[in-house]
Parts: sequence; C-alpha cells; structure tokens
Amino acid sequence: MAFLVVTLTWGLIRVAPGNFYSSEKKLPAAVEANIKKKYGLDKPWYEQYFIMIKNVAQGDFGDSLRYQGQSVNEIIWRHLPYSATIGVLAYLLALAIGLTAGIVAALKQNSPFDYGSMALAMLGLSVPNFVLGPILVLMFSLGLYIFPPARWGGVLSLVLPVITLSAVYTAYIARLTRAGMLEVMRSDYIRTARAKGLNERTILLKHGLRGGIIPVVSFTGPALAALLAGTVVIERVFAIPGLGNIFIQANLNRDEPLVLGIVAFLSILIMLFNLLVDISYGFLDPRIRYE
Amino acid sequence: MARASFNQLRAGLAIIILSSFLISCATSANNKYFGLTEPPKDNVMRYVTGSEPESLDPQFVTGQPEARIMMALYDGLVEYHPKTMEPIPAIAESWEVGSDGTEYLFHLRKNAKFSNGDPITAKDFVYSFRRGLSPEYAARNAYLAYYLKYAEAYNSGQSFVKDANGQFLLKKDFAAPNPNQPAETAAPAQHDTLGGDSEFHRFLDSPERLYVPTDEKARAKVLDKDPKLKAAVEGKELVPVRGEDIGVEAVDDYTVRIKLYQPAPFFLGLLGHQFFRVVHQPTIEKFGNNWVKPENIVTSGPFKVTAHRPYDELIVARDPQYWDAANIKLDGIEFYALDEQTTMMNLYKAGRVDALYNHTVPAAWNEVVRQYKNEYLLHPEVATEFYVISVKKPPMDNIKVRQAFSLAVNREALAEFRKTIKPLTDFTPEGIFPKYEEARQKIYAQKLKENNITPEQWAKRKFDPEGARKLLTEAGYPVQQQGSGFVTPSFPVEKISITYNTAESNKAVAEFVQAQWKQNLGITVPLKNMEFKTFLPMISKVEYDGFGRRGWVGDYMDPFTFLGLYYTPANEGATGWWDPKYDKMLDDANNTVDPQARFEKLAEAEFYLSQQQVVVPLSTAGTSWMKKPYIKGFYPNPGTLHAWKFVYIERDPAKWDADVDNIMKASDPLVDSQIEQLAATQVQMENSKPPAEQAKAAE
Repeated sequence: MAFLVVTLTWGLIRVAPGNFYSSEKKLPAAVEANIKKKYGLDKPWYEQYFIMIKNVAQGDFGDSLRYQGQSVNEIIWRHLPYSATIGVLAYLLALAIGLTAGIVAALKQNSPFDYGSMALAMLGLSVPNFVLGPILVLMFSLGLYIFPPARWGGVLSLVLPVITLSAVYTAYIARLTRAGMLEVMRSDYIRTARAKGLNERTILLKHGLRGGIIPVVSFTGPALAALLAGTVVIERVFAIPGLGNIFIQANLNRDEPLVLGIVAFLSILIMLFNLLVDISYGFLDPRIRYE
Repeated sequence: MARASFNQLRAGLAIIILSSFLISCATSANNKYFGLTEPPKDNVMRYVTGSEPESLDPQFVTGQPEARIMMALYDGLVEYHPKTMEPIPAIAESWEVGSDGTEYLFHLRKNAKFSNGDPITAKDFVYSFRRGLSPEYAARNAYLAYYLKYAEAYNSGQSFVKDANGQFLLKKDFAAPNPNQPAETAAPAQHDTLGGDSEFHRFLDSPERLYVPTDEKARAKVLDKDPKLKAAVEGKELVPVRGEDIGVEAVDDYTVRIKLYQPAPFFLGLLGHQFFRVVHQPTIEKFGNNWVKPENIVTSGPFKVTAHRPYDELIVARDPQYWDAANIKLDGIEFYALDEQTTMMNLYKAGRVDALYNHTVPAAWNEVVRQYKNEYLLHPEVATEFYVISVKKPPMDNIKVRQAFSLAVNREALAEFRKTIKPLTDFTPEGIFPKYEEARQKIYAQKLKENNITPEQWAKRKFDPEGARKLLTEAGYPVQQQGSGFVTPSFPVEKISITYNTAESNKAVAEFVQAQWKQNLGITVPLKNMEFKTFLPMISKVEYDGFGRRGWVGDYMDPFTFLGLYYTPANEGATGWWDPKYDKMLDDANNTVDPQARFEKLAEAEFYLSQQQVVVPLSTAGTSWMKKPYIKGFYPNPGTLHAWKFVYIERDPAKWDADVDNIMKASDPLVDSQIEQLAATQVQMENSKPPAEQAKAAE
C-alpha cells in the first residue's frame, strides 16, 4: 500500500513542471548538466525509479535536494516533535472539554446548557482555524501583548496555536459524545443496569461512557494521524517548524525525496492509527470483539 | 498537492487578518511608533530574513534570504558598501586593476582569520574559487565566475587539445563564426604584469587555447558542426581543463591575482557576492556535505554560528577571531526563518523582531504603515518588472503593435495604484545607477537629434494613448471610437494573453494593465495565471502567447546586469529576440576602460533595445520593509543586502531615526568613519600609483 502511494507521488512530482533548481534566473546549459549529473537526473526515468524504490524499501529516502547535507529521515524526525506537541496537546484539550461538554449536554438534554454548548460547538465547527487564529492573535498578541503572535519557544508560545487547533476537534468531540451518550443511555443494557439498582454514577461512568465514546474513539485514529502530520494552516500562521509547514515547502520546492519521505511516513502513520483504533473497539464494546 | 486550496486559504487568511488589523490600527494610529517599540534587552538584533536557508555553504546557496545570512558568516575580498553596495575593502585591503581591464591584483590583510583561528591567505581564495567552479560540485551560481579565464571551460567539462609536438591548439586559429567573441588582441609582451611574473601567469596571458567538450557525445555534436575543427582535433590528445587552470592565482600568501578573459568593468562589484566569499578547505574536506552543521562549521565573517534550529532560527554571535572584530557593534543576530508576510508583521508589531526584509509589507497594510516615517522604508531597488513579448508569433511580431501596447499603459497611474513601485520607461531601473543615468541622458539627447524626435514627442513615450491607437491602426488593426470608449474588432485578441505566476501583486498589476488596454485600445487581453515552477519553463522557452510577466533582480550594481538579459542568442530575455548588432554594442562598451565612456556606450545599446520594444516596461521596484527606529547603520540599499558589522542598536530614543526617507543622505558618524577608515587603504593604493599610470587611468 505504502509503495503504491510512493509510486503515485513520485509520478506526480515528475509530471509537475519545474524542478528543484529552477528559479527566475535561467541556468547556463553547462551548469544545469552538472546538476543533473550530480543528482543522477541524467539517467533514464525507469532507472531512476528503480533506484528510488530500492532505497525506499530499505527505509532510505536519501538527502533532501534543497537542504544540502540533510537526510529526509533526519528532517522528518527533527520536525515531527513540533507538530506532535501541538497536535497532542490540542487533542487532549479537545478531549477534556469536548467529552465533558458532551456528557453534560446529553444528561441534561434540552436544557439551556445543552443548547448553549451545542450552539457553541456548531460555531467551532464552522469557523475555520485560519480565521480563529488571527482573531486570537489580534486580541492577545497585538492588543494585550500577552502571548507571542508566532514562533516556537516557551509555554506561552503554545497557547494560541493549541487553542486554535483544538477548536474544531473540541466541537466535533462534544457533538459525537452527546449523540453517543444519548443513544447508549436509552439502550437495553443501561435499563438493565438501572433495574439492578446501580447508582447513576456507576451506570454513567462504567457502562454508559464505554459505549458512548465509541464514535469518539473511531474519530481519534484519523484525527491523531492528521494532527501528528502537522496542520499546514496553523503552522504557517504561527510559524511553527512542524511537518505540515515542511511538507508545503517541499512541494513548492519540488524537493522530491522529502515529499516522498513525508508522504510515505504519513500513509504508514494513518494505517497504524486505524489499526490501533480497530483493536481498541474490542476493549470498549464486547459486542465487536474479534473471534 | 493542494496548491490551489492552499492559496485560497492564504487569501482568506490575508483578508481576515487585514480587516481585523485595520480595526486595531484605528485605535493605535496616533502612536508615534508602530506597535511595541523597545530595544531588545541584549545587544542582539532579531531579524526576519525569509524562508529557511538551503544551506550555510555560501557557494551552494542562491536566494536572497541566504545571501543576507552569508554576509554575516563569510567575508570576501570586498564587501558591499552598506548604502550604495559599491565594493569596499574587506579581506583585500586594496587592489590594482591592469590597464587592459582583464587583470586584478588583490592585496590581502595579514590579520584575517577563520572562526577557528586559522589565517586566511591567498590560497584559501584560490581554493574557494576552484571549488565553486568544479563541475562535480555543480554550483548553480558558477556562471557568475565565468568571466575568469578558463572558468567556463572547467565548469562545463572541456578539454584542451594537444598535438603530437606537445603544442596546444589555439582558439584564434579556428576563428569562431560568432562575431561576439573578442579576437585575441595584444601579444603577451604588451600586457602589464601586476604583481610580478610567474609560469602560471605566462600560461594565462598566452593566447587562449582551444577547448572542446571532454564528453564524447557532446564533443561529436560540436565537431560535426565544424568540419575544420573536426579535422584539427581528430587523433590529437585531449587534456581536460582542471581547476588549476582557471584564472586565479596565489602570487604569494597575501596576494591574489585574477585574470579575466575579457574586460568586465563590473567584476569588482560582483566579488562581494557570497559565491566569491572564502571557505575553509580542511573543514570541507573533513566533513563533506556535513561541514555546514553547527558543530562542524568554520566561517570567515564577522559572525559565527552558535545555534541552528531549521525552519525556526539561526543564531550567530560576534566572532572574536574576525580581523575587524573591534568594529562589530552587535553581540549577535537571530535570523528567523519566516516567509508569511502577515505573521512576520505581527511579530514586528508585537515588538518581537527588529527588522524585516524587502517586500514584506502586505498591500493592505500599506496605507497605515507608510505613515510611520520613522520605520517604513520605500527606496528604489535594483529590480524591475516588465512584460516580455513573444515577438516571433503574430500579431506581436509587428513592432508597431508592440509599441502600441507599450504606449497604452499609464505607468504613473500604475505606480500610484501599487504604492510600492516607481514607473519604468526604459529598461534599466530608475534611481539606482546615478552615473549611468547621467550618461544616458546625454546619449539620448544626441539620439533624439539624430532621429528628429522633439523632446515633447520623446516625453510622450511614457504614456500616449492617442499615439498607441494611431500605431495600431497603421499596423492594420483600425481602432474605432464607440461611445466614450474604443473598439478594435479586427485585432486577433484570442492569440494573446497576459501570463503571470500566481501572486496577489502580479494579479493586481495584470488586471490594471488589462484595464488600461481595454480603455485605451479597446482590446481585452485575457489573463492566465500559473504556479511559479510551472510558469518558469513556459516563459523561458517562450511558449506563452502575447505577454509574460517578468521580474528581474540585478546580480551586481551595474546596468549590464539588466542589459545583458538580451545578450547572445541563448539569452534569458524570454522573448525570442536576439540581434547581433545589440551584442556588438555591449561588447564595445565592456571593452571600454573609462567608466563614463563605457556607460555612454551602454546607453546607446539601451536606446537600441528600447526601440525594438521587445518588452513592456512597467516599474522599478521599491524595497518596502520596516525596521524599528532604534536599529541604526542598517540601510535600504538597492539589493537589501546588509553588511552586518555596521549595524547597531541605539538605546537613546533621542538619536532614533525620525525620517527614513532621507536615511541614505543623513550621515552617521559611527558608520561613516568606519567605512572611511576601511576605504583609506584602497585610496592610498590609488594615489601611490606611478604618475604615468595615473595619467593613463585618467584618460
């Protein structure tokens, strides 16, 4: 699967016009020939393809074409932590707020809190983060000078990007939780639990929640993969040196090995997370356990 | 990739930020400074230089963001003057130029050191030049050094041809059909030999050897075209051109001699370029590509690397080993890797960076930001914008059509609309080369007389809608009045378009020009935009129809960096136009030693080029960037390249900049005296020339 992705990506980069060394100034033919020879671009395309696939199979994506002396693996591992930090923190924040709001809203269905929090969630879903981010910057960085408007460094610099990034996820999780809880709380086994005389607290936390958050768990897989991969917009707006930022630049630079490396890495990551989610279903809901 | 959606995101982003920004500005417009303005606690400047540098290897990198960093990390024979960008002494404390303009002798100072304490000698420069030109290293900037004798031959993998007697074949015996190749002029005895004789020097000074490609296929291609050459080369021994053959020599430890293959009066100005700055051989040989890692790197400039976090920041500190360390005023510089305009403006406004690089003020911020006379810098830049014309394809193959389109653009209005540019009527940028412009004025006055053009007619070339309509009618496309506007029904508008690379500013200009042509000629030219890397080959191979957007940034401070665009058939002009007569005019000019006489000849060439109308000139760029008023010794020079050792942070608000429009004229004793002191060694050298030579130079 990963190989198919790599092959497709490779083909797409090759089809895209321009190359990593092209710029406004046209290079003399001799200079261009030297560059092609140095990077093996003078060989026939099928030969280049096999060399690439052979290296990729060994987990070696080679060196970046643009950033001299930096291997693709090195770049990915160096920038993953930035994206991961922001992504994981944002997701934890989203879980904390989203789950609480969802559960409370479900338990107090049709109450003012329910309507209020769900309206807020709707807003969170519909305001894109490239709108929210700048508004927060304007208020807290340029108006009040509390948080830095951009760049990495220190806990304070994390606040705005994490909040911005978490907004959509918080809203989504709150809605999923609410819907899941409403459904579960009406199901037969909860009624049985109530009939057994268990107190509401145990019913809610031990029986209700386990079934109620299954939609959230299935959402977590792809969401975490996407968050780890870096979010282009947030990283651009806040100048965070994460993978998403690098990936965009690599494409614009036609930095083939780097693009391939990141694409392969992401596809593996997404497959891995989906697998983990599938496994975790079994623990949460005995009905989906595999034989 | 999702380039389109990314652009939409960016556009959306820009709109949101700008609108919210304007709201916040309304409350802060009365302030004296733009945003938070407090000098940083440490004596360290925080600067945004653009996107992440490709490398810290000065000979590898090509971009402007990198060029500024390289100026902090590496020193060369000369440095750019912080205001004018003319060469001032750096590691070379003085230099001499041979009377025929092909030979340069540089006297190095004896106290120059690398960051590890190793002395910098002439050998290091020889190594650096050879390395940059080696074909295996494949530097994209190698062509900048092609003026050195045999440099191009070495870089493009050529071989000398040696006959059975051990004699090398000479180029002059195979008189090239190309009239542009200057003939071998004087015999070696007539050259003056700066810095004394040597065997290598005699080799360089002897008539140019013939060379052919070393690679068999490439050689066959060349030889098949020229039977005479083929017969002569066949069966002879081929001797590959080596790095040791190129025109740079260490006469002694502190003297570098450079030999060019033809006079290039702008060559000194080129030497400040990062490609010619000195690198440390043992480090490069020991670590290979990894030599630029912070733990390995050895540099030669006023600052040295202390930390590098890619995509985030590069931190440099004053290098105590630097020969002029006493005059470095900053303790360090933090270079932030950023290229999102609104993000960096946010940082600037929040007082977290001290200065930005050129073209960083988003269009919609302009109105607000330009009120800050103490912070916003808009000065002419050594860069122009124009539309190239695909001159081989009808209807643009008709010169009258081309002239009509050029006359129908109101450039003054364009400049007013764009705010950050100045109108451009000729080809070279305006306000950048004052001495050249003087010469040009004189030559143009002559030309007008010769061609019976009145000054009034001449002034009209800037914008003359009536004349444009007349020309278009003469070309066979009658322009008719219709209501208050015009129509040109017979014009094949489907055959042309304006092609530009996707960018807000390019789009704004294209729409403006489109509106001008509609209004003045009654022709609505369709617009086409494409992503940069897709756009490039389309323009350079002249595959576009009608008009293509082109910007050109000068490589060095001489009009030739612009006029040379249309030099030789393989030129970068991207119009399909080439004229041997134009080449000859440029060659003549460059073979002229006296600078002013040379400028006059270049002006003649520019006049000729303008008459051909292969481009629609639009504008000279303005630098458009911001710096906090406490940053001093930091000037909006034409290339936005800063010699960092002159920069300092002024703690006393009374001495802060109040009027940056006049910053170039205002004198700053701290900076001026330092430059004067540096330049003194070169002035002394020029004055100590024997009187005979001085007279010759004055001629």
